[in-house]
Amino acid sequence: MHNVWLIAKREYFERIRTKGFLIGTIVIPLIMAALVFGSHYMASRAKSESHIAVVTTDATFAADLKRNLESSKNSQMKVDVFAPSDAVRQSLDAQIKQKDGTLAGYLWVIPSPNPSDRPIYAYKARSAGDIATESALQDAIQTVTTRERLLAHGLANSDIDALTTSIKLDTSASGNTEAAFFTAYLLFFLMYMVIMLYGMNTARSIIEEKSSRIFEVLLSTIRPEELLAGKILGVGAVGLTQIGVWMLVTFIIANSGISSMLGGAGHAPVSIQQIGFFVLYFIFGFLIYSSMAAALGAMTNSEQELQQLNMLLVIPLVFCFAMLTVVIPAPDSTAARVVSLIPFCSPLLMNFRISLTQVAPWEIWLSVVLMSLTIAAILWFSSRIYRVGILMYGKKPSIPEILRWLKHS
Amino acid sequence: MPIVELHNIRKVFDTKVAVEGLSLTIEPGTMFGLLGPNGSGKTSSIRMMIGMTVPDSGDVSLFGSPFNRTQLPRIGYLPEERGLYKKMRVIDQLVFLGCLHGLADNVARRRAKSWCERLQIKEALPKKTEELSKGMQQKIQFIAALLHEPELIIMDEPFTGLDPVNAALLMDTLMTLRSEGRTILFSTHRMDQVEKFCDGIALISRGRLVLSGSMRAIKSRYPRNRMQIAFTGSDSFLSNPAILEAKNHPGVSELTLTTEDEAQQVLAAAVAAGTVINRFEIHEPSLEEIFIEEVKRSFGETEAVEA
Repeated sequence: MHNVWLIAKREYFERIRTKGFLIGTIVIPLIMAALVFGSHYMASRAKSESHIAVVTTDATFAADLKRNLESSKNSQMKVDVFAPSDAVRQSLDAQIKQKDGTLAGYLWVIPSPNPSDRPIYAYKARSAGDIATESALQDAIQTVTTRERLLAHGLANSDIDALTTSIKLDTSASGNTEAAFFTAYLLFFLMYMVIMLYGMNTARSIIEEKSSRIFEVLLSTIRPEELLAGKILGVGAVGLTQIGVWMLVTFIIANSGISSMLGGAGHAPVSIQQIGFFVLYFIFGFLIYSSMAAALGAMTNSEQELQQLNMLLVIPLVFCFAMLTVVIPAPDSTAARVVSLIPFCSPLLMNFRISLTQVAPWEIWLSVVLMSLTIAAILWFSSRIYRVGILMYGKKPSIPEILRWLKHS
Repeated sequence: MPIVELHNIRKVFDTKVAVEGLSLTIEPGTMFGLLGPNGSGKTSSIRMMIGMTVPDSGDVSLFGSPFNRTQLPRIGYLPEERGLYKKMRVIDQLVFLGCLHGLADNVARRRAKSWCERLQIKEALPKKTEELSKGMQQKIQFIAALLHEPELIIMDEPFTGLDPVNAALLMDTLMTLRSEGRTILFSTHRMDQVEKFCDGIALISRGRLVLSGSMRAIKSRYPRNRMQIAFTGSDSFLSNPAILEAKNHPGVSELTLTTEDEAQQVLAAAVAAGTVINRFEIHEPSLEEIFIEEVKRSFGETEAVEA
């Protein structure tokens, strides 16, 4: 155990000291955050600055629309109202062609010859790409005309408010599905990312030791299984550190109120129990997939050979994703229970089921036992391959050879 | 009590026999040379000695008891294929390897520093391995094998790629270690080193032991039928029937005679022919000659059997 610890410690500290780790952990999330906030900021500024003109004979409509656009929660535009005339049209046309003008466009309301039909709302914009202003304007016209019609039918303002309030489904009785989906998807993408980044790093670091031939010194004191276990834990800890930093940053952002500014109302808080299972299954998933990667590293001698085999890691993951369609509609069905006990799928699917429905404790325990056995089996298998593979240098093993190697050593 | 004792070990990789029926004994406090041509099974034998691979049959004993992994911290091993972590600093690397051999962090650090001073590479300590020359890397690895003060030091081809100055420095270090009572095993095919420094040798070819024992005993098995003669004038004496083989260089001939006793007669014949003798020497065959002869014979025999 001491040796496993030493190997893991070296791997961990050598890796977090690299520039790549610093960039990946700090700079990339900063750039991402800057992009998200930056674009949001730009979008919000663009909307608030819009300045439009409304040309209509209907003074009530103009006043309502102006009020709606200038002070509603979705837009804070500046609205000028004009009565229609050729002079106004010419002046407005000139303004939107003017290079440094502020006018974003003008709305020209042409009353329909038939009073019961709706008028034509013609909008001429400075830029055809100003979708934000257009859609805000469209929403505002809709609201204002609806309200006018309802008023015309004799409804009180309070009734209209009650009618137009949007409704929300209350799903609290059946568990927080939104949060469950969120965690499931989050877990899936985290797993995918971690496996592609760190699973492959485990494999790479094993190959690196093979090509630098340092393994021979290491193997003169420690067992191959200790070496592989140390690698998996060391590289894994680096991955967990990086993800931990990212999660922490996300958590801080999500709680700092910026998230509501970003438009998302935010999902309901996830329970402590859910976080516990998330962490448990995440760690197991990580160990399973990185021990598989270690086996690939043990089998191959170069990065190129590894590239050809990395599909072997992705396939079980894709299978899990496909199985989501079985688990989501019926999380308690036999099929869902069986697939969620497959060790390669448990980290994703069992955890998903736990957040969707009541899972019997024995199922959880069974999945943990199966996953542990799988990890031990993969380690045993890959250390055999490793021991024989490195000592018979250079040659790329065929499947029958690998099977024969298992008997050796 | 022998430090290393191999008894009839055999290892087959797939269809290739790497080592066949190898037995040898290394006494404590000696320097032992494991000789053999390329691909003869030297490295395979060493790997079985330290449990990196397990022999298919036969027994390995170290320090007087059957092999077991707890003996490994008492062994220092320099593999034939050198390898260090390229991006790791030398001092960290040495401390890491020292800790793997059971040293405490601070002890490993202190010893790494004093060894680097001793081998004149102190300036390498804070550098990364990839910034060092190949010779320096080799010294680092040499230190890594010795840091935990092993009783048995095993070095696979320790001198390849070193310049004469550094090779001599390492050899002196090994001699000092031997005088401190450590046992040293190294494999090589540089006969001059073995001849000068080793107490015992084993010569293996094609996975089989061809020759083993103490240096003196082996040499005494061969007749003193070699003679070297430096001369000016007629070389007609070289056609003497007692001369089995002659290598002629300008002014000097190295002769192999049929028996030890013929030397004086050949000399007398040369003097009689009017040749001026500048130097005359009778000696035993060098280890290199023995090596070549024995390896050739081992190949000849197997080929004869196969045919």
